[in-house]
Amino acid sequence: MRKNASGINNSKQRIENKNNDLDLYLKALNSAYSGIIITDNLQYDNPIIYCNKAFETISGYAHDEIIGHNCRFLQAQDRSQAERKIIKESIARGEECKIEIRNYRKDGTLFWNELFISPVKNDDGQVTHFIGVQNDISDRKKAEYDLREEKSHVELKIQQRTKELQDKESFLSSIIETVRESLLVLDANYIVLSANRHFLNSFKVTTEETVGNLLFDLGNQQWDISSLKEMLTRILPTNNPVIDYEVDHIFPHIGRKVMLLNAYRIEFEGQYKDRILIAIEDITEKKEQNRRKDDFLSIASHELKTPLTTIKGLFQILQRLSAENTDPKYVSTLDKITAYIDRLNLLIAKLLDTSKIQSGNLELHMDPFEIDKTVQDAVESMRLAAPDSDIQLTGNTGSIVAGDELQIIQVLNNLLSNAIKYSPESKKVEVSIHKVANFIKISVRDYGMGISYQDRLKIFERFFRVSHIQKKFPGLGIGLYVSHEIILHHKGTLWVESEPGEGSTFNFTLPIVTNK
Amino acid sequence: MQPKKIMICDDDRGILEMLELFLELEGYNVICEINSTHLTKQLISHKPDLLLLDLWMPILSGDQLIKIIRSTPEIKETPIIVLSASVDGPEIAGNLGANGFVAKPFDLTDITDKINSILKN
Ligand SMILES: Cc1cc2nc3c(=O)[nH]c(=O)nc-3n(C[C@H](O)[C@H](O)[C@H](O)COP(=O)(O)O)c2cc1C
Repeated sequence: MRKNASGINNSKQRIENKNNDLDLYLKALNSAYSGIIITDNLQYDNPIIYCNKAFETISGYAHDEIIGHNCRFLQAQDRSQAERKIIKESIARGEECKIEIRNYRKDGTLFWNELFISPVKNDDGQVTHFIGVQNDISDRKKAEYDLREEKSHVELKIQQRTKELQDKESFLSSIIETVRESLLVLDANYIVLSANRHFLNSFKVTTEETVGNLLFDLGNQQWDISSLKEMLTRILPTNNPVIDYEVDHIFPHIGRKVMLLNAYRIEFEGQYKDRILIAIEDITEKKEQNRRKDDFLSIASHELKTPLTTIKGLFQILQRLSAENTDPKYVSTLDKITAYIDRLNLLIAKLLDTSKIQSGNLELHMDPFEIDKTVQDAVESMRLAAPDSDIQLTGNTGSIVAGDELQIIQVLNNLLSNAIKYSPESKKVEVSIHKVANFIKISVRDYGMGISYQDRLKIFERFFRVSHIQKKFPGLGIGLYVSHEIILHHKGTLWVESEPGEGSTFNFTLPIVTNK
Repeated sequence: MQPKKIMICDDDRGILEMLELFLELEGYNVICEINSTHLTKQLISHKPDLLLLDLWMPILSGDQLIKIIRSTPEIKETPIIVLSASVDGPEIAGNLGANGFVAKPFDLTDITDKINSILKN
């Protein structure tokens, strides 16, 4: 009895113990971080018969919504994943499997489920249950995904960049091939890396004769010039380009030519640096044209002066012969002719001046002179020549400048006569002379029509004349050009400040030699 | 007093005729030569008191002529005034030993002034 009682007690105890153990296990399962489920493989469609708390948390479903279902409900509409088939086959074979699969919480949000399924077999080897362990690996997946994304993004970028560079390069090379200038690219050792078509055509050479060779060995060593070499060696370390270096040489195939050479350091981002680009322009024709033009001008002015000499002489004879005839109309007519002969002579002289300047022949007689006196004289003679005008002179510097006084007078006359000519409405012209640092500055201000910005840019060019006044005041329009050149030769500057309608101020400076 | 003899050599007929007219009015005896290759012969036969000489002339130019004149005994002392429209005229005239230079186009008074000052000496 006791035994029985104790037997009952024992079995009761055992059951109690068992219950306690189970309780413990359940507690353990519920405190696990991973989702854990058990399915009954002997029932239809493998229903879930147990799930722990973590599974509820991971899936967002409540216990009651889970039990009895096949676990595929976590896949929602996302049913075409390859993983599903793998699970199905493993289950059918009663094997374990480990898989990562996209699942959806109750609220529809995606999570990545790392799923581990393993079979539970009875003594007969029959699979009675499956145990599933789920881990939400969304964070890891996202990190992986981001990494992959980043990687493919970077790859894409590299692809794009490469393409861009290729595009840029082909863009560059198409420019290089198109320009009508000879171009060479050298490496840091002056070996020719490439030569454009224009180079090959103009020097009548082949790529083989050019590319891969030392620049100084090309042709008949036409570029082997020590001063050029020296400049080229300075390009890379100092980044100082070679600008407008003239090479006058008898080239093989093409004969004597004057070439203008420019060289720069070039860098092509990511591809290379320390290359030298050499641009070569054939200026033979240009130089020849300039020379011909200068010759023409100087011959033309000489030829024009010859008949003018005759006219002038004959006219003076006529004046003398008719000295007795005092009819005022007759006398004034003769005077007019004199004025026009002188004007024609002046125009011819200007033409010659221009051609002299252009060919660099302008002769300067650099003597010291008192600039104040020069300006006073110029103003005085202009007052006599244009008695209608009102020329006012201010300032006195007491300075000596060095230069060709006659040419400075020419500049002053030019500025003064322009001031008078281009301001027919207002007769006032203000001339001032001042000291500015080591220079004297002379300004000629008129209150005439003024000069627009566009015109101001070009006014000192050869043969330029402000278009709209062209008809009103004809002339050769080389006076300002000549004046500008003269002042430049004296190491000063000549410039204009003006607004249309408000008159103009022409200024020039000359370096002071000594103060009195 | 015998009028002074002036020879003019210029390849431009207009200038020759104009100067001849003027200098004759001034009371000179004028001989003109348009062909520079004949000048030396003319100088030797006429022995003028003064020569007005152009520079730019075909075949024999003024500067060549001055050299020839200065090395030809009979005429080497002939006073020469160079008349030229050329910019380098004064330089050439000075270097070759001409006695004066007048730039074309000139005032006739410049010509008479130069002639008078040379013939005075
Ligand atoms: C124990 C066990 C746990 C499972 N857990 C999941 C799960 O968490 N997520 C899921 O998508 N499928 C899970 N499955 C798989 C599905 O229940 C189902 O077997 C799979 O979708 C293949 O079958 P089907 O093609 O009929 O859907 C689990 C299966 C078992 C046996």
